[in-house]
Amino acid sequence: MTAFYDWFQYPFLVRGFLCVLLLAPLLGGLSHLVVARRMAFFSAALGQAAITGVCVGLLLGEPLNAPYGGMFGFCMLSTLGMVYAKRRSALPPDTLIGVFLALTLGLGLCLLVAVTRQFNVHQVEAVLFGSLLTVTDTDLALLVLAGAGVAVILLRNYNDLLLDSLSPSLAKARGIDSGFLEYLFALVLTVAILVSLKVIGALLVEALVVVPAAASRNIARGTRAYLAWSVAVACLAGIGGLMISTRLLVPTGGAVVLAASLIFFLTLLSSALRRA
Amino acid sequence: MTALLEVRELTVRHAREVLLSNVTFSVERGSLHALVGPNGAGKTTLLSAVLGLTPFTGRIFAHWERSGRLAYVPQQFHVDRTLPVTVADFLALTRQSRPVCFGIAPATQKRISLLLERVGLKGFDRRLLSVLSGGELRRVLLANALDPLPELLILDEPAGGLDENAARWLDDTLVSLKGEVTVVMVSHDSAQVRRIADQVTVLERAGA
Repeated sequence: MTAFYDWFQYPFLVRGFLCVLLLAPLLGGLSHLVVARRMAFFSAALGQAAITGVCVGLLLGEPLNAPYGGMFGFCMLSTLGMVYAKRRSALPPDTLIGVFLALTLGLGLCLLVAVTRQFNVHQVEAVLFGSLLTVTDTDLALLVLAGAGVAVILLRNYNDLLLDSLSPSLAKARGIDSGFLEYLFALVLTVAILVSLKVIGALLVEALVVVPAAASRNIARGTRAYLAWSVAVACLAGIGGLMISTRLLVPTGGAVVLAASLIFFLTLLSSALRRA
Repeated sequence: MTALLEVRELTVRHAREVLLSNVTFSVERGSLHALVGPNGAGKTTLLSAVLGLTPFTGRIFAHWERSGRLAYVPQQFHVDRTLPVTVADFLALTRQSRPVCFGIAPATQKRISLLLERVGLKGFDRRLLSVLSGGELRRVLLANALDPLPELLILDEPAGGLDENAARWLDDTLVSLKGEVTVVMVSHDSAQVRRIADQVTVLERAGA
């Protein structure tokens, strides 16, 4: 078994550890706003769209370990499409997002067949479930840049985003542009999810933008504690998941999400005991 | 007296259905203007159009002379029961530029405490929004709307959910604002309208 201090002998583990240290606060910080703005299902749809985006990138000739053009291009278009349709249609948002999810997943599966004619399916598995082995220095640099950008945008717009989540009509009366905020937050979330895919995986990334906030809600009182607990849960799950993943040789994404879920149930228990 | 708000031939349609048809009225500056009418007459829709939340045809003019600040107290304010936002967090959202998740600045906290005292909710700072009663939540929304003092205050059934004492307090508060703030208020309470309103516009159901 690999001891914790042995990790730093392996560059891929060091990169993975740094990635988790960067993406956990990023996704944890975003998660409390994702849940407040009821965008959990949107995050799930985005994870699925990323699979299709990767297939598009690979079919257009991008390298297997960096299909950024296809992934970012397709996911940004999907995000803009979902927000536009949500704002224009009278249908409930979850119904519309369900339509987009089905569309992107159907397209992704069709393209995946074409992709597996060129690549070994196990090479694509890393995108679906996350793998530390595939994380490169470029991914790490991208995560640093994206994390800094997302943090700046969120902090500048935090109060408006929260007020708009509580009551769009009150926000509008205060002169806040709800439409702009909706597009901005959706795009910021898309970027954060995409730069985390290598570690967490497309199928599971949505869990890390939902579970930390859900766990935090069980124990937090006040906005400050809500954010702090969300970030703490994401960090604990990230580091715990990484340790489980390297010891038991299971996909990183799965291990991180299992750790997050375990913390969620512990907070649920704590909340139930407190109320009893 | 001059008009602060003028609504001319306002029509609102939704999915080919006419919700409001050719509504025209004006609101005198510094007055308390009540909008009354049966359920479905479009009172809330009219407020929504004035706030720019609903598309409409026709004209709405606002002749601002002071801050040009508009404040609104909605009829319904559903708070997600598990969202851990305190009363102080909520009131701080529009009163400080520092993100509320990084804490409330001491000056903002002081201002919030005074504000809550003014609406009879002293010591409610740390209460979660989701555990407030309907009447308490309405007071918090009113506190939020009254600081800083707006030029136009729009209230959608402000007495809904208030007990007798709270309703009297609300009437006194609104009367004390006359001359300083122009108030447009939807109300189903005819006694309240008779007591405090300066002008009344009656809306009929479209097609009635």
